[in-house]
Amino acid sequence: MSSTDQPRRDVILDVRDLTVSYRATKAVDRVSLHINRGEIFGLLGPNGAGKTSTLSAIEGLLKPGSGTVLVDGVDVQRHPAQAKSKMGVQLQATSFQGQLSIRQIVQLYAGLYGIELSDGQITEGLSTIGLGHESPKLFKQLSGGQQQRLSLFIAVIHDPVLLLLDEPTSGLDPQSRRQLWSRIEHLRDEGSSILLTTHSMEEAQAVCDRVAIIDHGTVLANGAPGDLIDQHRDDPLVRQAARGAVTLEDVFIGLTGSEIRD
Amino acid sequence: MTSTTSIAATANSRLILSSLLRADFIVFLKNRRSLIMSILLPYLILESTNSKTSTANLGGPLFVIGLSITYGIASTSIMGYSLATARDREKGVFQRLRVTPASTGAIMGSRLIVQLLANLVIALVVVGLGARAHHLSLSVGQYGLVLLVSVLGGAMFLCIAQALVALVKSSETVNSTARLLYIGLILLGLLGQGGTLGHPWGTVARWSPVGTVMTLFAGVLHLSAWDGRDLESLLVSVGYIVVFAVIGIRWFQWEVR
Repeated sequence: MSSTDQPRRDVILDVRDLTVSYRATKAVDRVSLHINRGEIFGLLGPNGAGKTSTLSAIEGLLKPGSGTVLVDGVDVQRHPAQAKSKMGVQLQATSFQGQLSIRQIVQLYAGLYGIELSDGQITEGLSTIGLGHESPKLFKQLSGGQQQRLSLFIAVIHDPVLLLLDEPTSGLDPQSRRQLWSRIEHLRDEGSSILLTTHSMEEAQAVCDRVAIIDHGTVLANGAPGDLIDQHRDDPLVRQAARGAVTLEDVFIGLTGSEIRD
Repeated sequence: MTSTTSIAATANSRLILSSLLRADFIVFLKNRRSLIMSILLPYLILESTNSKTSTANLGGPLFVIGLSITYGIASTSIMGYSLATARDREKGVFQRLRVTPASTGAIMGSRLIVQLLANLVIALVVVGLGARAHHLSLSVGQYGLVLLVSVLGGAMFLCIAQALVALVKSSETVNSTARLLYIGLILLGLLGQGGTLGHPWGTVARWSPVGTVMTLFAGVLHLSAWDGRDLESLLVSVGYIVVFAVIGIRWFQWEVR
């Protein structure tokens, strides 16, 4: 690693000039962002803005056209296994092998991170998320909230320094959503850094320490929700979107437009 | 999880592979339909060709056993493996595995190892059933050679299956294509090899993936008659493996996008 590649102190995720293309279409265009230790960072954007492509490049699922991604100082492209062992991931649509029981799924994913768990440890772990009695069941037999809890449990099974959550609250009822946010905040308080995508501006404003608003593959704004609101309060498009006090959603609509995206 | 949180984050590659193998074995054993088909069809062929006349029409008992094993391993590879792989890709199972430290080689290698071991078991069961049905006594060496050809044939059909899921994205299309391919191979083997379809088709059948593997099975079960044709079949089989493996690896996509 050259001296210019040296990660900044306490920066857990460092994305520099990331570009991702699908044939002629640039999904992510020179995106740079960083996440500090113990920070919840929200990546916000309309459908097709480039959020999932950015996450996929960070996760090592696709090869960027250019740019670097460092996780706790480890280059994802050069040392994928080492970088992945520092990350916990919850994908947008989690799918585990349909024929495996919950216990077998936990055992598999623990093993993939180099952790051997006894039956007792698995039961104990599942009990902490209220799934102690569900271990013989298949993943599809769990409710949406239970599936989400299990997915998050597996994502943090190896105590990662960085947690990536792609629309974690999508499709959850208010109780499950509230519980999930509590767990995410708890993980942050324990020192994990969290990068998440969400369409709920209200939740992002309430929970995220910093957010980046992305559209057409580029970062339009980046900062603490309160700072972004202050910076864009007098923007005519933001004022037009606001119905009363300016919120993060008004800033989002003001920056990305109000037309519907597919 | 407090006792596990301090355990090294850098994953142990041996534990990764053993975890994948254990999971893939469980999944394979729970796919009962594919497993039953891979044993049932060879058993039906052996039973239906039990008479001296029908066995002779197909080239003798050793050829019939070779045919049965070939169809057994072709069934589980072409229909079972390709469909399971296409469905898992569509559901995002591979994507979930790929965000872990497991390499893509380990993820796919584990599945292939399980399938190859299944092919060995199928071959052993079918050759045992065949030897009993046709009153043959086979040496330990012949059983060993049968296993070797099973590995070769299994690898060939797995490469064909891999090429299929590389070229076709939708699991439904993979399913229907695999069925058509399998039926085509069965007909080519039974009718072409038996001489029913005449000269050109007989030659096509002889050098088809099914034909070459059947020849090899018959060859190792009747070693004293091993000749140049068997060697040619061996080389052609290896050629099929190389060609379909290149297609299967070069064009395989881990996600449907």
